[in-house]
Amino acid sequence: MREPPHARLRSPSRRTLLTAAAAGVGTALTSTLSGCSASGGSSGGVTLTFTWWGNDDRASRTENAVRLFEKENPGITVRTSNGDFGAYMQKLATQAAGGGIPDVAQLDYRQISQYSGGGALLRLDEAVSAGTIRTSAMDEGLVRTGTYEDRQYALPMGRGITGYAYDAALYRKAGIRAPRPGWTWEEWADANRRIADLKRKSPDGRPFTGANDGGPNEDVFEVWLRGRGGRLYRSQTELGFTEDDLTAFWTFCNDLRADGAVAAARDTVQASSIETSPMGRGLAASDFTWDAPFPGYVGLLGDSVHYGPVPTTDGRAGSYFKPSMLLGIGAGTPHPEEAARLVDFLLNDVRAGDILGFSRSTPPNREIAARIAKTLKGPEREIYEYSQTMEKYGLAAPPTAPPRGDVPIQSAFTRNYQRVIYDLATPRQAARELIDEANRELRP
Amino acid sequence: MSTVSTRAPAPAEDPTQTRRPARKRRGVREKQWPAYVFLSPWLIGAGVLTLVPMAASLYLSFTDYNLFDAPRWIGLRNYSEMLFDDPRYWRSVGTTLLYVVVAVPLKLALALGVAMLLKSLGRGRAFYRSAFYAPSLLGASMTIALVWKALFNDGGSVAGALSWFGIDTGGWVGNPDLAVYAVVLLTVWQFGAPMVIFLAGLQQIPSDLYEAAALDGAGRWRQFLSVTLPMLSPVVFFNLVLEIINSFQVFTPAFAISGGNGGPADSTMFYTLYLYERGFTASHMGYAAAMAWLLLIAIGVITLILFRTSRTWVFYADEEGR
Repeated sequence: MREPPHARLRSPSRRTLLTAAAAGVGTALTSTLSGCSASGGSSGGVTLTFTWWGNDDRASRTENAVRLFEKENPGITVRTSNGDFGAYMQKLATQAAGGGIPDVAQLDYRQISQYSGGGALLRLDEAVSAGTIRTSAMDEGLVRTGTYEDRQYALPMGRGITGYAYDAALYRKAGIRAPRPGWTWEEWADANRRIADLKRKSPDGRPFTGANDGGPNEDVFEVWLRGRGGRLYRSQTELGFTEDDLTAFWTFCNDLRADGAVAAARDTVQASSIETSPMGRGLAASDFTWDAPFPGYVGLLGDSVHYGPVPTTDGRAGSYFKPSMLLGIGAGTPHPEEAARLVDFLLNDVRAGDILGFSRSTPPNREIAARIAKTLKGPEREIYEYSQTMEKYGLAAPPTAPPRGDVPIQSAFTRNYQRVIYDLATPRQAARELIDEANRELRP
Repeated sequence: MSTVSTRAPAPAEDPTQTRRPARKRRGVREKQWPAYVFLSPWLIGAGVLTLVPMAASLYLSFTDYNLFDAPRWIGLRNYSEMLFDDPRYWRSVGTTLLYVVVAVPLKLALALGVAMLLKSLGRGRAFYRSAFYAPSLLGASMTIALVWKALFNDGGSVAGALSWFGIDTGGWVGNPDLAVYAVVLLTVWQFGAPMVIFLAGLQQIPSDLYEAAALDGAGRWRQFLSVTLPMLSPVVFFNLVLEIINSFQVFTPAFAISGGNGGPADSTMFYTLYLYERGFTASHMGYAAAMAWLLLIAIGVITLILFRTSRTWVFYADEEGR
């Protein structure tokens, strides 16, 4: 807290004002736009709703693709909305409960079992076999991730993989080798200590650390666990790890935090996006991240940020290719035909592919992916090369879709680790509480 | 989220009924139907929007219901799990009680203090009254809660201002020891409604009582204790009951400040927020319904206790034959 106070007093209020102004303009524009297209459409026009989560870049690309779809399909108006991941998930859950999932919705891998099992999503088998939604150019294995009890309920929008955003300039300065496939968790911990030893200060004068704390992040735990031969779930009703596994992981993270090698507790709990994460706020030199959001780090922090592989256990990688997000159709849609057309357009239309680019990591349509890959540069090129490197390195098969209880278990994971870093529980107590909670959630 | 709206007006009775002789009852009944016609929007609303959902929620509280599949009857398991097998439930009870115990007295004290200042104010009273009431109008909104979050965030104005005085609190929102107090302050700041009620009460106190007390040599503090507080006690009681009931149901500020997850480390996981999380994030609607019923019972019991104890300290002027 050593930054001059006037700077702190000012920036949030200005930002708030700008956000409010932008929201106002945005609303005005949206209503004008939808007003235009509604009046321009032919009589008996159809209105579809389409929602997704993601950053501004993804939003503007998606908007453009949707406008192209509207132009190609006179009479169909698409009303769009989007938000950040957390808010989006809550809204969708509420909508799903009321039977009102949007006509077309971007979905998380974790939601597929719950929403399809509960009849909130439309079955897509017919649209796929009729060719309204084409899947011929996609990997069969990837398409299968959108199934529940052997029926297709959603289709992947992108193929993602976990990776590691790091400030290469700082790594050089601290004399650390750039992350490469096969580097280990011990090397990672050592790198963090060496960054912290540089004794740099963040913009507001606090100690600069090596990395974000991975402890509250279930994805990081999964990578760590898989590297040791474990997995998150043994079945739809059973955990795949033990109290000892989780205690070991949380002890490892918490010790690094206590040493000042990874971000402080208060910065960890306030991170909800790239901008608010310790790395985004200039408090840490690296962060675990999925490939899709990685370009956001470069946009925010500059070209010295690069994308590397996550650490392994003695060379055994825990990462895997998984659908970064999926696209589904609400079971209650009055326009299943038009919704299917929109889904197909977003996944398979070459021009839509050009517009969307890699904003949802590698497109599932191989032809589109190869076509765009030629034009890629900067961080997106890096992601593409990274996924090719990892394909060659060899990764274990992806797990089956997570069980229904996974959503609350994921938030319990974050919460219980927060209890550790605030000294409200030891790693073992927190791990035991998580396992108790998880077993309650997984109860058939 | 008004999970516990319990008040229902007394059934419509015809006051003329008792006065009329029995042989005229038929005519009276003929005249009753227009009343029911005019009441029907309310009756239908109360039935469809209040009674049916309440009955449904009571039923669901004995089931395992995940919002998608049909509810499965499990008897009292939700209740027993809540009471004996869920440490987070009791943490949410503790957080809510702490909040009620801290926020309600603070808010009422501030409301009374400002009401007394406003009463003695001559010109400009209307302006100040509106100015102090404004936060109550704005305060329930999500927007204000988000602004509040920005103020109390790491790098927000509050942490900045405190660091001027050499107090390094960091962001309150990210500190499990302080986050709940950010919510408390947001509530306390919205003291306008009880303030207006206090002001009305203060204006009812006859000024001759103060004159008599002054003649007896009572100072301002003595006057406050011996005249103002006893004469105001019905109003204090009213505000206390209302605020306690409201505080048990606090939701919006905690939801906004914690981003909906009651964090950090469950420190702002109030009862209703936990209820919401169980229902809408974890999809355990039956469990959430059971929580709502226990909250209703708890608020009922606490209100009953307040009414019982009020006999000893609430003074109604007409009781003493004034």
